[in-house]
Amino acid sequence: MGLLTILKKLKQKEREMRLLILGLDNAGKTTILKKFNGEDVSTISPTLGFNIKTLEHRGFKLNFWDVGGQKSLRSYWRNYFESTDGLLWVVDSADRLRLQDCGQELSKLLKEERLAGATLLIFANKQDLPGALTKEAIQEALALDEIKSHHWCIVSCSAVTGENLLTGVDWMLDDIAARIFTAD
Amino acid sequence: MSGAKARSDAPVAEDVSGGSGHGTAAPPRDRKPGGGVLKRLKSRRSQVDSRPVTEEDLRAQSGHISPEDVLGLRGATRGYLCKPEENIYNIDFVRFKIRDLETGTVLFEIAKPPNTEDDEENREADASAGRFVRYQFTPAFLRLRTVGATVEFTVGNRPLNNFRMVERHYFRDHLLKSFDFDFGFCIPNSRNTCEHIYEFPQLSDSLVRQMVERPYETRSDSFYFVENRLVMHNKADYAYNGGQ
Repeated sequence: MGLLTILKKLKQKEREMRLLILGLDNAGKTTILKKFNGEDVSTISPTLGFNIKTLEHRGFKLNFWDVGGQKSLRSYWRNYFESTDGLLWVVDSADRLRLQDCGQELSKLLKEERLAGATLLIFANKQDLPGALTKEAIQEALALDEIKSHHWCIVSCSAVTGENLLTGVDWMLDDIAARIFTAD
Repeated sequence: MSGAKARSDAPVAEDVSGGSGHGTAAPPRDRKPGGGVLKRLKSRRSQVDSRPVTEEDLRAQSGHISPEDVLGLRGATRGYLCKPEENIYNIDFVRFKIRDLETGTVLFEIAKPPNTEDDEENREADASAGRFVRYQFTPAFLRLRTVGATVEFTVGNRPLNNFRMVERHYFRDHLLKSFDFDFGFCIPNSRNTCEHIYEFPQLSDSLVRQMVERPYETRSDSFYFVENRLVMHNKADYAYNGGQ
């Protein structure tokens, strides 16, 4: 195999992205992933491990990793940081009681060296619920304006209706692509 | 066809109401891409064509079978390249599903009932019990465009490091599709799913005809590695003459 062939192969492979979906348990991570991929979301049980989906979208090969958010599983999250291009942090906008917990877990992640290069998308999920906080309220509660270490964006969404899921993911892909594939 | 079709069921929002401006407010700077060049290069090892190898070569070799070994195979194996007891991690495939993304239809779903005493007896009676599946599809299956193939597996009480799957599909000695996927780490006692959504290989009319006419000559081998060591080998064969 010639060098040019190898280089070409490398380049094709470069259009692959690894996207890690995290958040507290019951935030809606798996529902977001399934809805985004056109799957039935009427029966979703707690994730006691991971759910992976690989797909092609806009010419990119996307690898989504959704890892369970229960407290006992959070210590394993670090095993999935390596090579992450984008972090999707999912917030249950109606879970006011655990918003502080949610903010603490997020700020821990942002200190992780292996996530240092990752684009951060925050989904203010469950906007279909009556008690849901607005994305502005969540932005403030999670002190997002203080994040200087990562490109970030907060998008309000509903995994159940599918509202804004594509908007958020597309923003993330654009941000990652601008960063990684600019050499093309 | 692109992934846009793949999630055509997901409603698309009309406007960007998300505060996407906020993130870009941070000053532009040079940023380390997620994962260094070496990491990316490493994940590419399977792209390099492997040295051709036969099943007999692999049986004769001393030591463990690695992913690179099986990537050199040029056809489905006749036997199994490892014993059931080499699955010391208790990895158990409990569900398999295929769906058509164009119509959103689940085409096939099989779930394994929880282990019973009977399983143990069968395993002794038949070396392929639990490791071999026979599929019967209609010819229309070969005309699908985008499919999602889901596997669900459970893991025993030891963590898995560097869990990797290599799956190769052949019609006779013709390689139709090769998957190579790194699961990486698996949590002890976890239940995990993985769906690969992919473009079904577009097969020529004559190949389709032959595959329909020759049931069970389409075969696949699924090899599973932990830390580059073969721990599980499952097989399947396929007929596409159903309903005829």
